[in-house]
Amino acid sequence: MRPDRRYFLASLAATAALPRLGWADAGGPAFLAAAQDADGARALYGLSDRGEALFRIPLPARGHAATAHPTRPEAVAFARRPGTFALVIDCISGVVLARLTPPEGRQFNGHGTYSLDGAVLYTSELVAEGSAGRIGLWDARRGYARLGEFASNGIGPHDVKRLPGSDLLVVANGGIETDPADRTPLNLDTMRPNLSYLSPEGQVQEVVELAPDLAQNSIRHLALRSDGLVAFAMQWQGDAALAVPLLGLHRRGAAVRLCPPPEAEALAMRGYAGSIAFDGAGQQVAITSPRGGRIEVYEATGGFVRALARADVCGVGPAPGAAGFIVTDGQGLIARVGAEGLRPLTRAACAWDNHLIPVG
Amino acid sequence: MRRDLALAFCLCLATPAVADVAETVTDHILPGYARFSDSAAALGAAAQADCRPAALRGPWNAAFDGWMGVSHLRLGPVEEQGRALAIAYWPDPKATGARQLVGVLAAADPALLEPGAMAEASVALRGLFGLERVLYGPDYAEGSYACGLARALAGDLANTAGAVAAGWGTPGGGGYADALLAAGAAGNASFLDAREARQALFTQLITGLDFIADQRLGRPLGSFDRPQPARAETLLSGRPLRNVALSLAALREMAQTLAPEAAATQAALGRAITLAEKLPDPTLAGVADPSGWLKVEILQQAVHAARDTAVAEIGAALGVGLGFNAADGD
Repeated sequence: MRPDRRYFLASLAATAALPRLGWADAGGPAFLAAAQDADGARALYGLSDRGEALFRIPLPARGHAATAHPTRPEAVAFARRPGTFALVIDCISGVVLARLTPPEGRQFNGHGTYSLDGAVLYTSELVAEGSAGRIGLWDARRGYARLGEFASNGIGPHDVKRLPGSDLLVVANGGIETDPADRTPLNLDTMRPNLSYLSPEGQVQEVVELAPDLAQNSIRHLALRSDGLVAFAMQWQGDAALAVPLLGLHRRGAAVRLCPPPEAEALAMRGYAGSIAFDGAGQQVAITSPRGGRIEVYEATGGFVRALARADVCGVGPAPGAAGFIVTDGQGLIARVGAEGLRPLTRAACAWDNHLIPVG
Repeated sequence: MRRDLALAFCLCLATPAVADVAETVTDHILPGYARFSDSAAALGAAAQADCRPAALRGPWNAAFDGWMGVSHLRLGPVEEQGRALAIAYWPDPKATGARQLVGVLAAADPALLEPGAMAEASVALRGLFGLERVLYGPDYAEGSYACGLARALAGDLANTAGAVAAGWGTPGGGGYADALLAAGAAGNASFLDAREARQALFTQLITGLDFIADQRLGRPLGSFDRPQPARAETLLSGRPLRNVALSLAALREMAQTLAPEAAATQAALGRAITLAEKLPDPTLAGVADPSGWLKVEILQQAVHAARDTAVAEIGAALGVGLGFNAADGD
C-alpha cells in the first residue's frame, strides 16, 4: 500500500534518509520519450497518458529508447546507436544518478531492460569491430557498476526485453554488421537476423530464424504481452519493390507467425517498421513507419485491422485502458489512435524520437 | 523534487493557407489529376468502342502520360484502398502481374468481365501495367477473352482514376484538396498547421525524384558488372525513357509552384530533363553495354543532384526538412 503524496512531501522535507519512492511520486508519468527540442537540444521527457510533459531531463546527444526500473522511479535513457552513453536518471529529481559508458571496443545499441527484481540492467551492445552482439550487465543496486557481459547470439542486436514475470531475455538480433565509425551497413547480402531467448546467465534457450528468402528482414524491435507472446517489428533491407511482412508473432516453443498486410496496403510502410506496441488488453498490436507515414494495426492473432496515415510517425505505446494506442511523431504531435482514427492530444515544439516507452 | 515545467504544449490554432501550398494544389495537383482522369476515361471509352490492341495503344499511352503527371503524388485519395497499386503495379520483381494474367487468360472466367468485377481482382493484375501486358504482350491480343479483358481493365482504370480525382475534389468542395488548403483549421486531423502541409508536399517532391533515380533508372542500371535492361519500366511498350522525362517535367512544375524562387532547383531539374531528352536510348536497353550504362548513370546522377539541390534550397525556403524519424532509420 502506497502512503499518500502529502506524507512523502513531508518526509522529504523532514529527513535526508528518503523513503522508497515509487513511480507515482515522479508525477505519475505513463511514458518516457526522447526528443529534440526546437532549439536543437536533446532531452528525455516524462509524459502523462494524455501526452502532457511532466518532466524534462537534458541529454548530451540524440537519444533513442529508454527503459524504466520496475519499481524505483529510475529510468535509463540510451543514446542513438552507435551509442557512447546511457544515463540513469532519477525521474523525481531529474538528477543523473549514473552515467554508463560501454567498455572499450563496445557500443550501446539503443535499448536495454531490467531484471525482474530490478537488480540488474541488461543493455544491448555490440563489439564495435564486426558487430558481434553482446548483452552488457550492470549492477543496479550498486551504482551501476559493470558486472559482465555475454553473447547476444547474433550480429547487431537492437531491442532487448524481459519476458513478463520471468528473468528470461528475448533479444532482437538485427543481423546487420555496421561500420564501427558510423551506421553504414556492411553485410546486407549475408545478414541472418534472429530472435533469441536467453537465460539471465546468457544460455541460449530458443532461437527463431526466418525463412532464407526473408534473411534480409532485420528483426529490430519487440513488444511483449503479459502472457509471454512476443511481437517483433522488422526492417526490410532487400528489394524495396518486394512486399514482405514487417510484423511477426512468436510464443516460446511454437512456430513463428508472420503477419503480412493486405495486398492494397503492401508497400505503404515502405519496408520499414520503426516501433511496435501491444494495446492495453493485448488484443491488438501496432507497428509504425515514419518512412511511409503509416500506422498499421493488427489483431494479436495476426489479422490486419486498419491503417492510418500520419507523416513521420514512429513512437507507439498503449493508450490508457484496454484498447487503442498513443503515437508520437517528428512534428511534436502526440495522438491517440483507435477505431475512430487519429485524435491529436498535445503538440510540442519538438521532434519526438523513435520510441514511446511505457512506464511501470 | 519534481520539476514543474511550463512547456509550450498546446493544440495548434488555425493558420491561414499559404500561397505555396495553394499554388501547388490548384496549379499542379488538381490539373494533373484532371488530365489523368480524363485520359483514363478516354481510354475506357475507347475500349468500349473497340477493344483491339491497335485501337487502344494510343489512348493507353495518353493515359500513361497522364499518370506521369501525378505518379509522384503519394498522399491522400491515391493512398486509400490500394489505388496507387491498382493504377500502377510497378516494380513487380516477382512478375506477379504477368503470372496472374496467364492464369486469368487460361481460366477465361466471364464473371471477371462483368461490370465492377475487376475492382475486386488483385491489384497486380490491374491498371496501366495490366493493360500494357494485354495490349503489347506477344500472345494475349488475339482471343476474344483478351479483348474483353482489355475493356474491363480500361474501365476499372477509369473508375480508379476518377475516384482519385473526385477524392481531391475542388477548392471549397470538401475533398482532400481542402485538407491541404485549410491546414490547421479546426477538425483537420490530416494537417495540423501550414508547415505540415508544406512538409507533405516537399516530401512528395523529394520521394518522386528518389523514385526516378532508384527505380525508373536504378532498376535497369543494376550494377556496372550486372546491368538489368529487362527491369526497365514499361519495356513492352518501349517508353522507359519517356516516363523519366515526363515525370521529371511534372516534378519541375511541382517545384515551380511550391518554391517559384528556387532557381538552383529549376536549373538542376532542367539539366536532368535535357539529358533525358537527348539520350538516344528510349528503352534504356543501352545499359547492357558499358558506354550506354555510363550515359544512363550520368542521367541518374543528374536526378540525384537535382534532388539534393531541392532538399537544400526548397527545404530552406519552406522551413521544412526530410522527416526527423523518416530520415533516420533505426
